[in-house]
Amino acid sequence: MRAPKLVFFAILLMVTVVLAQQPVPRQTGVLRLRVRVKADDSAPLRGLARKRFFLIPGTIEQNRALIDAIERQALLSRDCYYQKIGASSALINWLRESDCESVYCRGVEQEFVSGPKAVPEFATAFATSQKEYGNDETARQWLTTNLAPNVRDGFYRTQQTVLQTLLKQAGPEVHSVMTDRNGTAYFTDLGPGTYVLSNLIPTELGQTFVTWNCEVQVKPGDLATEKPYLVSNRKDRNVKCVGIEKPKPVCATD
Amino acid sequence: MTRIKTFTVFLFFFLICVHPRLSAADYSKFSHATQKHQAACNTCHKIPTKNATTFPDIKDYPDHDACVSCHRPQFFKGAKPVICSVCHSKTSPRDEARYAFRNPASKLQFTIEFPHDRHQDVIAMLRFSHAQQNYYNCTVCHASRTTTFKAAPADHSSCFNCHWKAQQPVATNCNGCHKLATPYVPITDPTRISIKFMHEGGGEKKQHIAECTTCHINITKAASLRGLKPDVPITGCTECHNKEGLRQDLNTELVAIDKNRNFTCVYCHAPNVGSLDPPASHYLIAERPALKRKDIK
Repeated sequence: MRAPKLVFFAILLMVTVVLAQQPVPRQTGVLRLRVRVKADDSAPLRGLARKRFFLIPGTIEQNRALIDAIERQALLSRDCYYQKIGASSALINWLRESDCESVYCRGVEQEFVSGPKAVPEFATAFATSQKEYGNDETARQWLTTNLAPNVRDGFYRTQQTVLQTLLKQAGPEVHSVMTDRNGTAYFTDLGPGTYVLSNLIPTELGQTFVTWNCEVQVKPGDLATEKPYLVSNRKDRNVKCVGIEKPKPVCATD
Repeated sequence: MTRIKTFTVFLFFFLICVHPRLSAADYSKFSHATQKHQAACNTCHKIPTKNATTFPDIKDYPDHDACVSCHRPQFFKGAKPVICSVCHSKTSPRDEARYAFRNPASKLQFTIEFPHDRHQDVIAMLRFSHAQQNYYNCTVCHASRTTTFKAAPADHSSCFNCHWKAQQPVATNCNGCHKLATPYVPITDPTRISIKFMHEGGGEKKQHIAECTTCHINITKAASLRGLKPDVPITGCTECHNKEGLRQDLNTELVAIDKNRNFTCVYCHAPNVGSLDPPASHYLIAERPALKRKDIK
C-alpha cells in the first residue's frame, strides 16, 4: 500500500522538477533610436552618425551615482589631446576633417603622405614603412604600424579608459549600439523595464560637449517598426531625450 | 575467476585500440590538438613566409625542420612516407608541390575571435557624410563576393595593416585571434531569407548603397562572432519598398495572398520561402492583422 504512494509522489516530484526546468518564453522589446543634432543654431538638424549609445538598466535615481560620475568627468577634446602631445596642425586638421578619434577611421591617401597637404607624422611613418616593407603601396596602407602609439590612437585609448571605468560602474547588463550614418540605431532583445539611455562619454558637437542621460521605458512587444525614440540637443515636441550641452574648455598650454 | 580473466583480456584489447602509444598513429593527418603540437606558434610558423609577396604574411606551411625535429623516423620511412602527405600533394622526394595553404579540403582547427563592436568604434567613425568614400568601413574586410553575398576575410590582408605590430593582437600573437577548436567545416554560404536582395549594384535604380549597419542592426553590438546573425529587420526593406507614394511591394503581395492563398511571394523571396505564411512583422508594417494562408477562403 505504501509503495504505490511513494511511486506516486516520486512521479509528482519528477513532473514538478521537469516543468520547473522548462524555459519560460521571455517577451522582449526593441528600442529604435533616432539621434538628430544641430552643431550650432545656424546649422541644419542632421543625424548624428557613428556615435555609441548605451542602455543601462534601472531608473535615473537608481543610477544616480553613475550619472554623477558621467557629469563630473573631465572634458578633453580631441584637438586639445593632440595639441598636448605635440601633434602637427596638419594631423589635427586631418582628424578633424572626418571627426576621427584615431588614425584608423579613414585611409591615408597619398596626398597626405607627400606634397603640400602632407601630414609630417604620416610622412615619417611612410619612410620607415618603405624601408621595412619594400613596397610603396603596402608602406602607405600599413603606415599606421609605424606611428607612435599616442599619435596612432592615444585619444581613443584615453576615452576608452574612462568609458571602461563607467561601464564597470554601470554593471554587467549594459546594452550598446552605434548609430548609422543617419543617426539611427536599434537596441534589440531588451527585457521589459526601465532603462537609462546615455552616451556615457560626452559627444563633441561644434563648440560644445553634449551628454545624454534619459529614462526610457521598454514594454514587452515593443517592435523595431514603432515610432523612433527621438534624441537631440535641441528641444522639440517630438524629442524625448534632450542632451545637456557644455562649452568646450580652452586647451591647456604647457 | 573466469569473469576477471575476461575483463582483463577486454581491457588489454581496449588499451591497444585506444592508447596512442600502443596503436599506430595516422601520420597523414596533422592536428593542432595533439599535445606536442601546442608549442608557441612561431616554433613552426615563421612570419613572414618566403612567398608572401604583396605584404608580410603567413602564406605557406612550416619548413621541414618543424616536423623533422620530432618525426625523423616517419620522414625517412619508405619511398613515400605518409607524413609528407600532410603538406605535399605528391609524396616524392623529387616533387615539392604542396597543397594551398591552408588546405581548403581539410577541416578548420581554429575559430576566429573578432569583436565587431570594437572595430566599428575605430574603423568606421565616419560621422557625417563626406564626398570621399574610401574610408575604412565594413568593406575593408567584406568585399563583394557575389552580388548577393559579401565575402568574409580569407587571409590576413585586412588584419595586418593595423595588427602587424604594435596594435594587439599583433602578427606574432596568433592566439589573440585564433582559438583551438574541435575541427569543423566552415559554412561558406549563409542562409538568406530574401535571396533576391542584391547588395551594391542591386535595386532597379542600383540604389542599394546604404551603409551596412543601416540594415545589419546588431553588428555594432556584436562582441564575438559566435551566435552572430545577419539580423536585418523588415524595416530595412520597407523604408523604401512599402512607403506611401513611393512603392508598395509588400502590400501588393499581401493583397495577392488575400485573393489567392496559394500565391507565392516572389519580389524578395525564392519559392521555398515565398510560399510560407508571411511573418507577423510583414503584416505589422502593412498595418493589418496577421493572417494564416489556411484561414483565407
